[in-house]
Amino acid sequence: MPPPAPARPDVTYRTAGDRALLVEYGPPLPVDLGLNFFAHASARHLEENPVRGILEVAPGLRSLLVHYDPETIQHDAVIAAMDRLHQEIPEPGSLVLPSRRVKLPIAFDDSTSREAVERYQITTRPDAPNVLDGNNVDYLVRSNGLPNREALYSRVLESEWWNAFTGFYPGLPSLLPLDPRSELVAPKYNPARSWTPEGAVAFGGPCLVVHPIESPGSYQLFGRTLPICDLVRRPRAHRADPILIHPGDRISFYRVEEAELIELRRQVFEGRYDYDIEPGRYAVADHLAVQADPAIAAEAAKRRADRVAAQELVKIP
Amino acid sequence: MTQTAALEVLEPGLQTTVQDYPGRRGRQSLGFFPSGPVDSLAFRLANLLVGNRPGAAALEIPLGRFQAGVLAPGRIAVTGPETSVTLNGSPVPQWESVPVETGDVLACEVLRGPGHRLYLALSGGIAVPEVFGSRSTFLLAGIGGLDGRALERADILDTFPSTPSRPRRLPVSLRPTYPTAWEIEILRGPHADPDFLTTEDFADFLAASWRCDLSSDRVGIRFNPHRFRWARPSGDVAGGHPSNLLDSSYPPGGILAYGDVLTVLGPDSNTSGGFAVIATVASASLWKVGQLRPGRDTVTFREIDLDQAAALTAHVNQLLDVKALS
Repeated sequence: MPPPAPARPDVTYRTAGDRALLVEYGPPLPVDLGLNFFAHASARHLEENPVRGILEVAPGLRSLLVHYDPETIQHDAVIAAMDRLHQEIPEPGSLVLPSRRVKLPIAFDDSTSREAVERYQITTRPDAPNVLDGNNVDYLVRSNGLPNREALYSRVLESEWWNAFTGFYPGLPSLLPLDPRSELVAPKYNPARSWTPEGAVAFGGPCLVVHPIESPGSYQLFGRTLPICDLVRRPRAHRADPILIHPGDRISFYRVEEAELIELRRQVFEGRYDYDIEPGRYAVADHLAVQADPAIAAEAAKRRADRVAAQELVKIP
Repeated sequence: MTQTAALEVLEPGLQTTVQDYPGRRGRQSLGFFPSGPVDSLAFRLANLLVGNRPGAAALEIPLGRFQAGVLAPGRIAVTGPETSVTLNGSPVPQWESVPVETGDVLACEVLRGPGHRLYLALSGGIAVPEVFGSRSTFLLAGIGGLDGRALERADILDTFPSTPSRPRRLPVSLRPTYPTAWEIEILRGPHADPDFLTTEDFADFLAASWRCDLSSDRVGIRFNPHRFRWARPSGDVAGGHPSNLLDSSYPPGGILAYGDVLTVLGPDSNTSGGFAVIATVASASLWKVGQLRPGRDTVTFREIDLDQAAALTAHVNQLLDVKALS
């Protein structure tokens, strides 16, 4: 049975000051990758068919922020241009987006991430319920209704992760799983953590992120990977752009021990490491086919139910 | 282009940085907010006074304390709140271009009255390398400006060559004023009532006098906590607090409801996140947040519409017309 063809999403325009317009696609919830695909298709279509006065666009999970110059194009004309553009985009199910595949090593529950959690407990909030026993990994396992740490790691390793958008800090990707069975959800720290190591991998809300620079953060830390941003250094593979992971890229992780990760990170800093990047495209139809597979859908639904049940039991701070 | 060593920093002050206007644009989808001056009005006027393009790189001096030795002849202009500015110990005026000679010592005193940031432009503009299209310092990422950091004692600032320009002065009647109780023009949304805040919440937002928090900086200008009622019980999967939503990109000058704390997104802020932006400062009024004194000043927000915002922009553009300078 072919998957049902998704309709074009409803569009909500929201004024974001006198120089920007926030364009939202579909309903606020649940998280729907299809809306993100549509946002990327809109951004790309606008790039290929520029509108005079529209300066830049920045995607979100289900939105686009459109910056414009009000002295060149008026608010109403921006809306009219976006309306036209949404009609010109192909049916969502037939979208094919540029998307590279990037493979990154990950060391789970590494000592640097643990140190960040430890620092938080000492300096910020010793009794934070979301750093259970000083470890975010165990908290993630419990709050997602998983049997053990290995189950959490498998979810991360088994799916490709779609970069829904880059933002917050320079080069920080917000990744969603292309395999619905790998959906995980995590509450954010309250208050935020003042230090997060570069390369830290973390969950917050429905997103997996990789920290490009040392910075504050509020997501649950569970591992570390390679540097993904080259703002001041010059590792190889960042030559074309200092940002390694572009919006719409697909990331997959392979497991390494911490000692091996440290060696690979050394190679990056010494300019000897070649990142594993494969150019390509991604067809939304592939995602729809996975979603429509009855076995996958049933398993994803069961896992979601387990997660919701666990969240009833685990106190969210 | 040959560059001349123009200033040696003797006293760098609290966190003096090199900035340019409009900063690092066109890269928000890669996670860059623009950086640049928090008060872009005083900044651009300083450049115009010394004969630079409004976009030349110049200094932002929070709290005003700064001293430097002059290494080459040229012109300088100091704009922003009133303070004591001296050249070799003798007072020199603000809001006009002042000739300087090699060996002079320029000093700006700490700000004692209202207003929070001074701007110092040098003829030719500060010559630091462009990073991703801008010379602005972005402290968190350690890029732009002078080695991506705030100025330190003994730093040398170079300038580009400049052609001699006439002395210029901004008439007193055209200078911005710096009160202790501010009124800042905003536009409603993108995430206001009735979907996010209640109508009463938004009325409270406009009626209240907000105190600028001590922790305000280039990243964000924060206000006293306030518990809104909110039009929804929670942010669901996006987070527990009703201010949480699925992440989207933020507009510069957006007023974020970060839980119970309102924050105006500054030029070095994060570019996106999962919180409601209940209002956005009108672009022509955004300079005002650069002059709010942390821990001291208060703000009321006045709602305007797009036509009024365009009129404000036209007014600011008039100020920035070289012909207005005498």
